[in-house]
Amino acid sequence: MKKSLFIGQRVLSELLRDKRLFVLSIIAPLFLIFLLKIFIDSMPQSFPAARYAVPFGAFIVHFLSFLLCAIVLVEERATGTLERMFVAGFSRISIVVGYLLGYLILTTIQAIVVLTETMWLIGLNYSIHTVVLFFLTIWMLAMVSVMLGIFASTFARNTSHILPFIPLVVLPSLFLSGLLVNPEQLPKWAELVGMLLPFRYANDIIRELLTGNSDATAIYMNFVVLIGYGVGLMILASRTLRETD
Amino acid sequence: MVITTRQLSKSYGKVSALNCVELEVPQGSIYGVLGSNGAGKTTLIRMLVGLLRPSFGSVEVLGLNPIRERYELRKRIGYMPQSTALYENLSVRDNIVFIGKAHLIPNLREKVDQIIEFVGLTTRARDPVNNLSGGMKKRVSLGCALINDPEIFFLDEPTASVDPHLKRKSWDLFRKLAANGATLLISTHLMDEALLCDKLAIMSKGEIVLVEKPQTILQQGVLSISMTKKNQIFTELVSANPKAVAAKLHDYGLATEIQSVQIGHPNLEDIVLQIIDSQNR
Ligand SMILES: Nc1ncnc2c1ncn2[C@@H]1O[C@H](COP(=O)(O)OP(=O)(O)OP(=O)(O)O)[C@@H](O)[C@H]1O
Ligand SMILES: [Mg+2]
Repeated sequence: MKKSLFIGQRVLSELLRDKRLFVLSIIAPLFLIFLLKIFIDSMPQSFPAARYAVPFGAFIVHFLSFLLCAIVLVEERATGTLERMFVAGFSRISIVVGYLLGYLILTTIQAIVVLTETMWLIGLNYSIHTVVLFFLTIWMLAMVSVMLGIFASTFARNTSHILPFIPLVVLPSLFLSGLLVNPEQLPKWAELVGMLLPFRYANDIIRELLTGNSDATAIYMNFVVLIGYGVGLMILASRTLRETD
Repeated sequence: MVITTRQLSKSYGKVSALNCVELEVPQGSIYGVLGSNGAGKTTLIRMLVGLLRPSFGSVEVLGLNPIRERYELRKRIGYMPQSTALYENLSVRDNIVFIGKAHLIPNLREKVDQIIEFVGLTTRARDPVNNLSGGMKKRVSLGCALINDPEIFFLDEPTASVDPHLKRKSWDLFRKLAANGATLLISTHLMDEALLCDKLAIMSKGEIVLVEKPQTILQQGVLSISMTKKNQIFTELVSANPKAVAAKLHDYGLATEIQSVQIGHPNLEDIVLQIIDSQNR
């Protein structure tokens, strides 16, 4: 697993040196949350800002880490560096774990930045306990997104092949996983579809925390599902990552 | 033989990229694969390093199956892909170091310094690859393939867009590596490079049409002999075979009245194109 560390190190130093990726991972979420703030400000006083603020922040992190990871990995395939990594002796699992390690730090920064900005701009006050759990949820969701990105990238030969995955990840999460409408209000089948998406579970935790007197078991269960989702995707991605054509 | 293929074939859907290729590469030689765009050179090399699964036929490299025994094999080979395949934002040094780490090379630092010096990029070692010229990127890529002292090198057009000076230096290195027992499989579409190989396989449309020493292939061509006799120039075309040249000169007897003899070089390009043409007919 030493080799995963080398990959993680390389992925991170690449991300930090690439302005485009840096903007996408840190500046873009900051800007999107600013837009959310403008939107909330334009709504009548009775608008439940808290109901949407943190879930929206989580969604931004979810989507951007997915996109970022998928793009970087597809570029590796397109430029031939992935091929070179394989021939140099990196295994599929070491690449998947390496990517995860590389994004670990970036994702942590992302989760902190997004959560802080959301609470500060929208003027929300939560207990330390709640904030820590928010952070853990967003962070965990981001790791799952990285796995999702790796998984999606295994079906793409070049960056444009990632495009179809964008609506596929965004739209169902938006409508079916509880960001806009509570899933219980959806038709049964739509709720079931929503349950296939990782965002549903992160959103459930956040909603539970927002109720004030949250149910610890429900939170715990959702964390377990989220972690299981991530591990499942990791195994899947390390199998679908094509080493030979 | 360090590389053997039997009826090796690869098709992409209906397109047949490689068709029944039989290859035997002896250890310690520089083996050239010559062919025009789309001939199947890259397909062949990717199959030898285990990146492509054959549609049909078998491959053995160092006695190993490149797919099933890839981890074993990959410690012992070096691969330079046709595309640059480097991390553009990372420095020359970091790119080579990364590949070195994959191989868990001891004393990596010194090794990388040596390689950077050899490829003539010492002054640019800290620059991101982004800032280098195309030929310099090729050198970095070659550097990556050298890091683990492989037994076999698979170099896919290693000197395309490299300047003549470094091309000569590269070939000097290739020779040195081969002299030390390494085997090099080099694809090219450049005839002048093909001439430097020990053995040459000419590929066309996914098939190997000829395997010969370049000198032998040259002898299949023709050369021109121009002689000046009584201030008049006569030109004749002779088979490039040295015996045929001698026979022709015997005919003339080289009488004192022949004032000068000029022998034109056979052109490998013409011969190869002729061979490929005759094959396609
Ligand atoms: N992934 C692929 N899908 C479909 N066809 C392919 C694929 N890769 C290669 N081919 C086809 O296989 C044939 C051989 O291609 P290959 O890349 O091996 O040629 P080459 O000799 O390396 O050419 P060049 O000198 O341009 O590098 C071509 O006809 C090409 O179109
Ligand atoms: Mg090629």
